[in-house]
Amino acid sequence: MKALAAALLVFVAACGRGKAIFNVDVYSFIAGTSKDTVHYIIPPPPAGSATGSQVQKINLPPGFGSSIVDTVRITNGSANLVTTSGSGRIGFQLYVAADSASTYNAGALALSLPDTAVSVGPPISVTISGDLSGAVNALFTQPTVWIRLVATGTNPNALPVTGLQGSMILTALTIRVIVEDKIF
Amino acid sequence: MRTGVVAVALALLVLAPLRSARAQFSFDARRYGMGGVSLSRDGNARRFNPAYRALKTNSQATGTPKFSIPVPLGLIDFFKKHPINQLSHDSIFDPKSPAFNPFELTNLIFNPPIFYEVKKSPLPTNNVEFTIGKNQLIMNLGGSRVLIPEQDFGLGSTSRLFDAGVGFAGFHVGVMGFLQYDAAFTLDSALRRALTDTVTGLQPGDTLSLLSDAVAQAGLAPTVGFAGRLTHGADPATDDGLYLGGAVHYYMGATFGRLTGPAQILVGNPIFGTTPAAGVNDTLRTSNKANGRGVGGDVGLVWVSGPFEVGVGANDIGAELTWSDTKLQHVTYNTTVGKLVTTLDTNHVESKTKLPITYMANAALRMGTGTTVGSDVINSGRGTVIHVGVEQRTGPFAIRGGVSRDQRKKMQFGFGGGLRLGPLGLDVGFFTHSNSLSPQRAITMATAISIY
Repeated sequence: MKALAAALLVFVAACGRGKAIFNVDVYSFIAGTSKDTVHYIIPPPPAGSATGSQVQKINLPPGFGSSIVDTVRITNGSANLVTTSGSGRIGFQLYVAADSASTYNAGALALSLPDTAVSVGPPISVTISGDLSGAVNALFTQPTVWIRLVATGTNPNALPVTGLQGSMILTALTIRVIVEDKIF
Repeated sequence: MRTGVVAVALALLVLAPLRSARAQFSFDARRYGMGGVSLSRDGNARRFNPAYRALKTNSQATGTPKFSIPVPLGLIDFFKKHPINQLSHDSIFDPKSPAFNPFELTNLIFNPPIFYEVKKSPLPTNNVEFTIGKNQLIMNLGGSRVLIPEQDFGLGSTSRLFDAGVGFAGFHVGVMGFLQYDAAFTLDSALRRALTDTVTGLQPGDTLSLLSDAVAQAGLAPTVGFAGRLTHGADPATDDGLYLGGAVHYYMGATFGRLTGPAQILVGNPIFGTTPAAGVNDTLRTSNKANGRGVGGDVGLVWVSGPFEVGVGANDIGAELTWSDTKLQHVTYNTTVGKLVTTLDTNHVESKTKLPITYMANAALRMGTGTTVGSDVINSGRGTVIHVGVEQRTGPFAIRGGVSRDQRKKMQFGFGGGLRLGPLGLDVGFFTHSNSLSPQRAITMATAISIY
């Protein structure tokens, strides 16, 4: 991957001033694997809230280490919430960090979407979009970033005792990274 | 290192077409105003046509100055914008500077700022966009796609580094130094598609190839030549007549090298998630000793009839050098260590190389009305350049115009004027050129003081 991207960037270097835009189809890297599904089990009160998550590494073209990232935006994202028991609310969060462990730091939170009411029944489709926090922009100049997809849930109901259970199944996730080009 | 990689890439893309203009760089603003045509009987004329040795380089007859002193308005402007005491920190030369742009530096190298750039060709300024998926890589280079060569490209030239000798009775004995190089590159269809196709882009399993064939050789050549007048007009005191020139060279090659083969990237399947392989499988021939030998020759004709002059000359006809002691090596890329590895195949074998035939044809018509029309066609090893120009003199004033077709086969234009007062002249010539990394032409104003 690095060799290919680096070699092609030699030619891209012939593009003068401007911006480099990367549309990274994250979903294509995790589709069909267990990584595209975040299971959630939200216990009844008094706990009433919990999270489930999946961590995924993303490879990016190298050579942008000295570049400045303008914006990082999710341009196309969606997930299906499939609830198998109980009811409550499920939200989506995205954490971004330089390594796997750091995605669990609070400072790695890049995007948080309002929660959605869920209950047993047909899958509920939610749209994932928005600009990521500027605090994580610099990470996208590195050849590798780690992301953690999080389903956050609240369960106000005492029954069923098994709590609110289900899965957030990613169906699309494209991240658009706009970089002030300073290749090499 | 990174800057070097960029520079190599830029060179591969554009050096060849630029080289021609550089090789013909002149301080003569008059020439620029006439679209690049040269009416001089020395310089290129003598270089390509040995018959010109028999003709006087009479500047009165040809109307050309003895020499020109450039007025370096471009340099003044350059150093005003880039103070000489701060060049080491100037962003144009500092790859670490956020404002560094390799295009700007490349354009500077191939457009030495001697003369003033009236209209600079804009640097490619556009966004580039990548679409990256597990099995997808599409690059949209925007307007810069025009820089991706459609056909083979490269750089090459045959130069005579010096040509010294003595002459008597039309004969010339001397020695010249020769240098010939040619590097040709071809992007295969998959690589070209990867760089230009914004819908399909890279395909899994693609083999992206850059095919190269590069040769360089240099040495000395003792020379025996003759140039004489075969016929003359009614008045032998004039230049009228037919002139013939020829020279035989005994080439003594000092060194040569030739590299042929592809550099490849084998795209994985899927594109991302598998490691692509880099492949180099080239053949390298080099000389062990300075023992290249061969014979070749130059020939030329010039016919002068009153105001009309026409000449044609060709160099290095039949010049094939035999190198009796060379070695053949294979150059491969070792993916384990990430380095190029050279292995000896055969040693002490014979190899042959050729010098390309270069040529020039020129014509000039000097009318009694002060009008001079000239043209030349030059091929110095890679591509033909054509110039056509006209000058109209009225008293001390002159106006000029011309067109040319450069090695990129692009039309260029020139116009200008001059004022001559006795032995001194001031000339201004405007000319378009495509010496920059841009599809758009630039316009340069050449200014010079001419001594007649």
